[in-house]
Amino acid sequence: MCQHQFYVAKPALKSSVTVCARMRRDLRGALLLLLTAAVQSSSMSAPGKPVLLSCRSPEKETFTCWWEPGSDGALPTTHHLYYERERLEGTYECPDYLSAGRNSCFFDKNHTSIWVDYYLTVMASNALGNATSDPFKMDVMEIVKPDAPGNVTLWVEEREASPCVHVRWMPPSNTDTKSGWVTIKYELRVKKDNSNNWKEYTSGTQTHFSLYSVSPGGVYTVQVRCLLDHGSWSEWSNTTFVKISNYLQNERPLSMLISILSAILFIMAGLILIAKRKSVKQWVLPPVPGPKIRGINSQLLQSGGSDNVGNALIIKQSFPPIYFVWEDQMEDYLIVTENEDWLSSNSQKRKKSLIPACFHFDSEIHSKESPCHQNDWEKDEEMSQVDNNNKPFTNTGYVDFQRHVENVQEADVKHVDYSRVKEVKGDNVLFLEKEKVQSSGYMDFQRQERIPEDYSRVKEVESDHLVVLQKQNAADMSCKDEGNHYTDCALHKPRKPHVCTELSDSGYVDTIPAPPLM
Amino acid sequence: MALKETDSSKLLMAVVCLVSVCSSVPISDLLDRASQGSDKLHALSTTITQDLNSHFPPIGRMIMPRPSMCHTSSLQTPSDKQQALQVSESDLLSLARSLLQAWSDPLLVLSASANTLHHPEQTSISNKIQELQLHSKSLGDGLDILSGKMGPAAQNISLLPFSGRNDIGQDRISQLINFNFLLSCFRRDSHKIDSFLKVLRCRATKTQPQMC
Repeated sequence: MCQHQFYVAKPALKSSVTVCARMRRDLRGALLLLLTAAVQSSSMSAPGKPVLLSCRSPEKETFTCWWEPGSDGALPTTHHLYYERERLEGTYECPDYLSAGRNSCFFDKNHTSIWVDYYLTVMASNALGNATSDPFKMDVMEIVKPDAPGNVTLWVEEREASPCVHVRWMPPSNTDTKSGWVTIKYELRVKKDNSNNWKEYTSGTQTHFSLYSVSPGGVYTVQVRCLLDHGSWSEWSNTTFVKISNYLQNERPLSMLISILSAILFIMAGLILIAKRKSVKQWVLPPVPGPKIRGINSQLLQSGGSDNVGNALIIKQSFPPIYFVWEDQMEDYLIVTENEDWLSSNSQKRKKSLIPACFHFDSEIHSKESPCHQNDWEKDEEMSQVDNNNKPFTNTGYVDFQRHVENVQEADVKHVDYSRVKEVKGDNVLFLEKEKVQSSGYMDFQRQERIPEDYSRVKEVESDHLVVLQKQNAADMSCKDEGNHYTDCALHKPRKPHVCTELSDSGYVDTIPAPPLM
Repeated sequence: MALKETDSSKLLMAVVCLVSVCSSVPISDLLDRASQGSDKLHALSTTITQDLNSHFPPIGRMIMPRPSMCHTSSLQTPSDKQQALQVSESDLLSLARSLLQAWSDPLLVLSASANTLHHPEQTSISNKIQELQLHSKSLGDGLDILSGKMGPAAQNISLLPFSGRNDIGQDRISQLINFNFLLSCFRRDSHKIDSFLKVLRCRATKTQPQMC
């Protein structure tokens, strides 16, 4: 600048020279200022104080500590970690600065003790000085934090009703799960699709878990973490996800088609059934033959009226006519008795004793309208009188006779005990023969059979209504007649006569069974 | 809390009866029950420490006495995994019992001073200390039963007297500091007991690896 000539007036020449010198001085000053400023900005100083951040033991056997260095003072700075330990004299330096990365110190198994306090300090040093961090006190038991579980695998089990997802994982590789030195607990969390709602589950000490509340068509994300005894939870494992196929939807049209076809088939089958319902009914429910009584006109029975009923029940076929005693109609009764005296005494004044004695012949009729009622029997005074005197029904039994119309030698004669009627007196007394009839006669029987207990032999029949029965000798008789064939003769001997007649509703004359004698 | 105490002591009594009558309760079950108890004990002590530290003046942390001054520090215990796995079962049980026994008196001191503690969480801390006492008692009873099944060495209990530091401190700060110190000693010892019992449990159930 000073080279520039200023054309000024003669008297200003001196001032230009002064300005140039001043400028030079300023320039030097400015340069000096700049230099000092430059020097000051990159100050080499002692390092700043480092800060110990944290320590961590992943398996309760080793641990690592990290620090944050302070400013380095523009000089190469080194950091050293020193520690003191409870129950150990002296100060020691970190055994391993490298394994765990920058600004860290790794204590291996040989240098790790538990239940003792460590006092750590980090010193930063450079050419200009040192800086020491605040002491950091720690005990291994308090800094336990495991690594995340590994190898998290998922698979979907596709069950019919609902799928489920099985999760499996491995414990962190550096953890000892066999000696009991540490006890691991697991936790997992699941989220569906892209939502932010995680659902957490505790798995205890198991390394597997099953999720059942999953729906098809979703993408499920699963993470697992673990904890050692009383330490801190590990980080969540890497994300694993699985997609559940939407198979149900694919199968839907097929199942719909199947259901429609089967519905059509059912409808067709139903229509066919309805169209042919009669034959189906025939086949499914074959008609059961109703009870048909020969010679009875069921329609007449149904139409009611005593006449009709009577007519209906009369056999019109080749059966012999049957006598029926009716309450209010037929008054022809057959008196059955054993007492001959009665016979004689009453022979004259035989009245129309209304002794209902009913005979049911070998027929298939079981009429419900019993013509015989005990009431009539009881009502009859004459009868009672007769009864007192003679006890005609001492041993009434079933008297069965078959009107013999056809050939004697008829093969289908029923083997019932028969007596031959000796004499008929009047119209309601029959005298029956004592002995058994051996030859064919009025009454016929093919065989000689013993008379059962409760049967009586008809001794004689007096008139149309009176049948005199044999007194209690039936057993003897049979014994007498037949010899020793019948072993139960002895049984019958001391039998007492029993008086009662029981006229059952069916019209049978039946004795009341004898009390057992044995 | 009273319920828990009766529950655990009832359970223990049931175990005792079972042992005396049937004498067929397996050691593994007893150890499992004991390690659950010790786990609970340590968890409680951690909770109390957290309660205490939530309002603890930061200065106090710096001037805390060294833990080597815990009254149980004279007991030689394993200090890493290798050493711990080399100790015999009876010795491990004996160590656990000794440690637990050593705290029966100091817990009373803690309990008494918790009532007068100047701390915002004083009530909660005091209740938990009482719970701690009950659990400690029931665990001690359980370990006594176990020791009967484990050999003569398990019967030895080292006496660790608590040198009558009944006065926690006059002023608030020293009171808190001493309380915190005593609690930290207890925390360490309860962690030791828990670890030893879990190692024992795992050793006793070789057929059930899920117990480890």
